[in-house]
Amino acid sequence: MFEKRNIASVYTATAMLIFAIAIAIISGRSYLEMRTPAAGVDRVMPHVGFEQKKLSDYFAGLEGTAADTDVYIQEGAEPGGTALILGGTHANEPAGFIAAVVMLERADVRRGRLIIVPYANMMARSNTFPQDAHPQTFGFTTKGGNKRIFRYGSRLTNPVYEWPNPDIYIHPASGQTMAGMERSNLNRAHPGVADGGITERLAYGFMQLIEAEQVDLAIDLHEASPEYPVVEAMVAHENAMELAAMVAMELEFEGVPIRLEPSPKNLRGLNHREWGENADVLALLLETSNPSAGRFRGRTDEALILTGADKAYEKAAGLNRLYVSYEGGTEPMAERVARHVVTVKLLADNLEYVRDGKGIAIDGLPGFRELSERGVGAYLSE
Amino acid sequence: MLLKWIYWGINVLAIVLVVRSLYREKSLREQYVAAMVLVPLILRALFIK
Repeated sequence: MFEKRNIASVYTATAMLIFAIAIAIISGRSYLEMRTPAAGVDRVMPHVGFEQKKLSDYFAGLEGTAADTDVYIQEGAEPGGTALILGGTHANEPAGFIAAVVMLERADVRRGRLIIVPYANMMARSNTFPQDAHPQTFGFTTKGGNKRIFRYGSRLTNPVYEWPNPDIYIHPASGQTMAGMERSNLNRAHPGVADGGITERLAYGFMQLIEAEQVDLAIDLHEASPEYPVVEAMVAHENAMELAAMVAMELEFEGVPIRLEPSPKNLRGLNHREWGENADVLALLLETSNPSAGRFRGRTDEALILTGADKAYEKAAGLNRLYVSYEGGTEPMAERVARHVVTVKLLADNLEYVRDGKGIAIDGLPGFRELSERGVGAYLSE
Repeated sequence: MLLKWIYWGINVLAIVLVVRSLYREKSLREQYVAAMVLVPLILRALFIK
């Protein structure tokens, strides 16, 4: 009855082609902004006493590459042990790298040495997973009313720097097989390969740093989805289990419940697993709860990143489907950052008990209640 | 490194074929679909995404 009218022609095809190019230009500019962010984005202002180095100072193979990242070292007046704090192994786990930034801007080391790498995988900071629809940035207002902006990236190195990945990734050190994309996951690439892919080379750089600086305690700061069993947890390599057990008890005393998980021996490539296997270091991974990276989440915006408030998660909590309490229907960033900061502080405080003469004393870090109540912005520099 | 450029070549070939099909389509809707398929291919060919 109705004859189909085809009005397509060479003219409409040209118009469509121009339309596609225009969309590519607009979205391309947005992607490029992630790679070269505006001035001030991701800026850190280290506390007095920190010396700035580059990871390429430890492994020249990273020099001039997108993987090279800043390493900050502060040495206390009294001799002691050395702690390494890694934030941003996964750039979509913001409490991890924000906790590292807070410690970088606040820590005053009295004994031992503190090494902080706030953005471990710089190449993941410009990346987003297709269909994840995360905002590119989020921010905090400081006491003085200034805005501090940080990028929200992804778990994986941007394919611009590492592409294509194989269908199956064979972990070089163990022969374990994983999904191909894990080749671009820093937390599967350890202990790294000197002439491997760029993420494997980055991991190799961290191993060199640990050996060169004779690190005693290495902590990798992460976040996990509230529906994931290993959340609000301390995952300890077997050589760090005694220290982790002491700290878990102290956290409970402070009203910060935490799970203590043994690191699975057969899951290879994880930062802390390989640090503990390949160096004389007590290695741990810390997890807080991050609804903005969870699978149940709805609208994914800056508010979700900062507050963790989400109706679907509230419903899931009501159905007892989460591994966190999700009290009040929120998972505020300040509490997640505070959890990391207080755990790191306690691990450093207790190191002396498991490594004689290697104690580390750090002043200036906010306590759990203090940071949770006053917010992250109150502890970031202007 | 070689694999990267082989994949890049496949990507550029895909762009050529999709543009060819865009001009051969008789339906406006199919032309639109072809145009949208082009966007990620262009971004990948330019190493932007």
